[in-house]
Amino acid sequence: MQVVVSEKDGIFICRVEGEIDINTAVQLKKAFDKLIREKRDKIVISMEKVSYIDSSGLATLVELLKNFRKYGARMKLAGLTAKVKSLFEITKLEKLFDILEKEEEAIKAF
Amino acid sequence: MDDREVIIKAEGIHKAFGENQILNGVDLEIYKGETFVIMGGSGCGKSTFLRHLTGALTPDKGRVSLLGKDLALLKEAEKEDVLKKIGMCFQSSALFDSMTVAGNISLPLREHTKLEGNVIDIVVKMKLELVGLRGFENLMPSQLSGGMKKRVGLARAIVMDPQVIFYDEPTAGLDPIVGGVIDKLILDLSKKLSITSVVVTHDMNSVFRIADRVAMLYKGRVVEVGTANQIKNTENELVRQFITGQPDGPISFMQTGDDYLESLTK
Ligand SMILES: Nc1ncnc2c1ncn2[C@@H]1O[C@H](COP(=O)(O)OP(=O)(O)OP(=O)(O)O)[C@@H](O)[C@H]1O
Ligand SMILES: [Mg+2]
Repeated sequence: MQVVVSEKDGIFICRVEGEIDINTAVQLKKAFDKLIREKRDKIVISMEKVSYIDSSGLATLVELLKNFRKYGARMKLAGLTAKVKSLFEITKLEKLFDILEKEEEAIKAF
Repeated sequence: MDDREVIIKAEGIHKAFGENQILNGVDLEIYKGETFVIMGGSGCGKSTFLRHLTGALTPDKGRVSLLGKDLALLKEAEKEDVLKKIGMCFQSSALFDSMTVAGNISLPLREHTKLEGNVIDIVVKMKLELVGLRGFENLMPSQLSGGMKKRVGLARAIVMDPQVIFYDEPTAGLDPIVGGVIDKLILDLSKKLSITSVVVTHDMNSVFRIADRVAMLYKGRVVEVGTANQIKNTENELVRQFITGQPDGPISFMQTGDDYLESLTK
């Protein structure tokens, strides 16, 4: 799993690629440490290339959301594949997150 | 059916404890994603067989392959990797009395992963929600009913998102409603998360609620295996007697003969 971060007009687009599971969830969290430290407040996590996410991955996203919310930042998820989306639904997390179909929509939504 | 992926395979499993031959050549194939029930009389060796499938016991003869790996051929570390992908719900809930509910559920995560505490706490909350025990994190096992303990045991079994869950008598000793709740949980987990479930039970209501396929163990062997419907309509007298609970039939419960009287007067 890897995360590539780019910036456009103060919006931070984080493209995640690979599987988010018990082994990679720790890395996922670390990839966002810098953004949180610098109090970046517009975050898009683009998940088009995430093939699978397990409970620890979902929990890590919840933890990130909590961290961002602490200083009033907004975080949006985009590009979830059908399989990943269903995992959000089973765990009833889809309502917790701001989920958009496409990365561009998420960027425009700020 | 032939094109289905076999996720667990037992071949000719033999096991004796001392003089007592418990398993006498058990063969089974379990498919990925199915809910497979193993039934059989008390003491016939169901738990013993399950413990072979999870690598807790080694057969005297025969082989078990789990997730495509022959357990006997694995090095310790490789075996551990395979075992991380399975979950086990024990006949007794096997919770640690000295730990809270959250402590019990999170134990595998704390032992086997580098996840940080906050994330682990969230995973525990998600699993408690799945088993219908939201807000029970801080209770001790002694403060729970039997059904709640079973559900905590289930939450612990799924905390690492296993591909296969083994259940040993998940509904034994529960009232019919709580039993139904547990059955629904087993089904939800199998269908929604495509988990393979292997369930040992002699709760007939439960068998036909959850099973895709059923095997009956008798005298150390599988005497019949088939879909839930095939089993329901079986012509096999042994199986018929078992599912209808008739005291008389090919399975003798009462021991006959003169040795009783002899044993009294000896
Ligand atoms: N570790 C052991 N040492 C010696 N004998 C054992 C051991 N484990 C099980 N047995 C014996 O093996 C037989 C089968 O036990 P097992 O627990 O597998 O039965 P079971 O089918 O699960 O029964 P139940 O439905 O009552 O749970 C019993 O006679 C038991 O006494
Ligand atoms: Mg048993």
